[in-house]
Amino acid sequence: MDWQALILSLQLAAVTLAVLLPPGMLLARWLAYTTFKGKAWIEALVVLPLVLPPTVLGYYLLVGLGGASPIGRWAAEHLNLQLTFNFLGLVVASVIFNIPFLVQPVQRAFEAIPRQLGEAAAVSGLSGWQTFWRVELPLAWPGVLSAMVLTFVHTLGEFGVVLMIGGSIPGETKTIAIAIYDRVQAFDLASADRMALALLLLSLAAVGASFFASARIAVRR
Amino acid sequence: MTGDAAADSRALQVTVSQTLPMPLAGSFRCEAGELMALVGPSGAGKTSMLRVVAGLMRPTRGSVHVGSQIWCDTAQGVFLPPQQRHVGLVFQNYALMPHLNALHNVALALLHLREPQRLARARHWLDHVQLSSQLQARRPAELSGGQQQRVAVARALAREPRLLLLDEPFSAIDQMSRRGLYRLLADLRKEFDIPIVLVTHDLQEARLLADRLVVMDGGQVLQQGTPDAIHRAPRNARVADLVGIQNRLRGQWLGRASHDGRGLLRWTGDTTGTDSGPVLNVRDKGKLPAGQPVTWVIPGDGITLLDTAPETTQGPIADQFAVQVVDARFLGEITLATLDVVGMPGVELRLTLAGSKRGTLALGTTLGVRLDLDQVHVMPLRE
Repeated sequence: MDWQALILSLQLAAVTLAVLLPPGMLLARWLAYTTFKGKAWIEALVVLPLVLPPTVLGYYLLVGLGGASPIGRWAAEHLNLQLTFNFLGLVVASVIFNIPFLVQPVQRAFEAIPRQLGEAAAVSGLSGWQTFWRVELPLAWPGVLSAMVLTFVHTLGEFGVVLMIGGSIPGETKTIAIAIYDRVQAFDLASADRMALALLLLSLAAVGASFFASARIAVRR
Repeated sequence: MTGDAAADSRALQVTVSQTLPMPLAGSFRCEAGELMALVGPSGAGKTSMLRVVAGLMRPTRGSVHVGSQIWCDTAQGVFLPPQQRHVGLVFQNYALMPHLNALHNVALALLHLREPQRLARARHWLDHVQLSSQLQARRPAELSGGQQQRVAVARALAREPRLLLLDEPFSAIDQMSRRGLYRLLADLRKEFDIPIVLVTHDLQEARLLADRLVVMDGGQVLQQGTPDAIHRAPRNARVADLVGIQNRLRGQWLGRASHDGRGLLRWTGDTTGTDSGPVLNVRDKGKLPAGQPVTWVIPGDGITLLDTAPETTQGPIADQFAVQVVDARFLGEITLATLDVVGMPGVELRLTLAGSKRGTLALGTTLGVRLDLDQVHVMPLRE
């Protein structure tokens, strides 16, 4: 059992979620509440990481963020940061490939709130923020919760993108999914077995807990 | 300051004029303590008008004043958001927050208070609309339509509004609970001396509750006045239709009669030409040219049922006619009767009757009617 890889995966999932959640929710709410020309294109762009093969996404991220790319060069010159083959690179990639997993369910949750409730809140004197915290967020919460779980679990298990942009540097970019692959390649099936089972149970527990919580919220209503 | 001027300072005055995104035009005024009903078919623009007043919709051109406060004036570029308007709005489906119980729904309109006072105040308003403390702890889904409406009213009142707006508030409530809510509304009127605007498509309800009606259709305000005045003198055929005047009849204006203030109206059928039919001597406002095709109305009060048909048609100028009963529906305390006018194919009069006269209404019986010609109101066919 490669504990270092498991902890790294959990760290990556937590950081990804923390970075993606605020802007992801803003984007989802904006897409839910506004209609404009070209909205379909933005929605398509949001879903793109879901339909692209992970290796294709990983390849473009590697080329786009690498030291030879404009973004990579700019980050190296101005921020003294390297964006590939390290933890930071994994976070950037992970945030990008998780956009659809977070934004889509949250957008659906906001769309399901009747418009009149927002108007009733405004007439009752609530500001935009008060309406968000006291009306929209509690009503969208089951959707937000399942989006968060989906993002977290999906990050734990992602393989292709992580391998392309991070390689397999122990303690830096070697996540649990890569460690499992590594062990299988070395014919250490016993280790692979344990880690695969750990990942399976962790994912099952997280998804199960989110469904249980959503069902309880639904019953209370 | 006189009493009138004091009332003026809290009256609602609305003027709207726009064509896009939807046509909406008209102006009306509602005094403090007055209940005004916006009536019209669905799609008439009643709810849009209410949304403009509440600040949920910005008109292209228009103004909303409450007393000396300017809530909206497009000419001056003023538009207060709903949060700053202190308006109580009861939505058609109440728009209660599904995740909050009744008490917290009302408390939501009191966020400017600290939590203990907020809940105490919310409880006060819910007690005021007679919702038991047991029901106050329930969520909207566990309350009946009438109870939800009381919560919505309490939430609107908690704003201590300068104006109360009610959008079809009784549409989702059964007849039994309605009576209790009518009484609640009557009590609120006495207690809060503010303008109250009610949107409804139910004319009976409007007549029952409102001091004044504003009739709307196709986004336009067509007429306003007391229910009685509108019924006696609808401005045009469309208004007569919308306020449910039963006896809308065709005719041709013949011009001024011999003496002052009267004119001659030929009563024509729908199918017959305009040159035959009895002539009625009615009141003339001097607005119509001779020969103009017209619609005319007569309220139910202006039609008296006679036990027997008149002898013969009494010369060229008539007020009594033979009729035959073609339909009589006994609806408990009242009877709706349809009478064919003898000698005028296709022309019908409709009457609502109560009392002992109803006994004579066997189908096929020939009776008489006398029209009170002073109550006849004549409108040009197209305006």
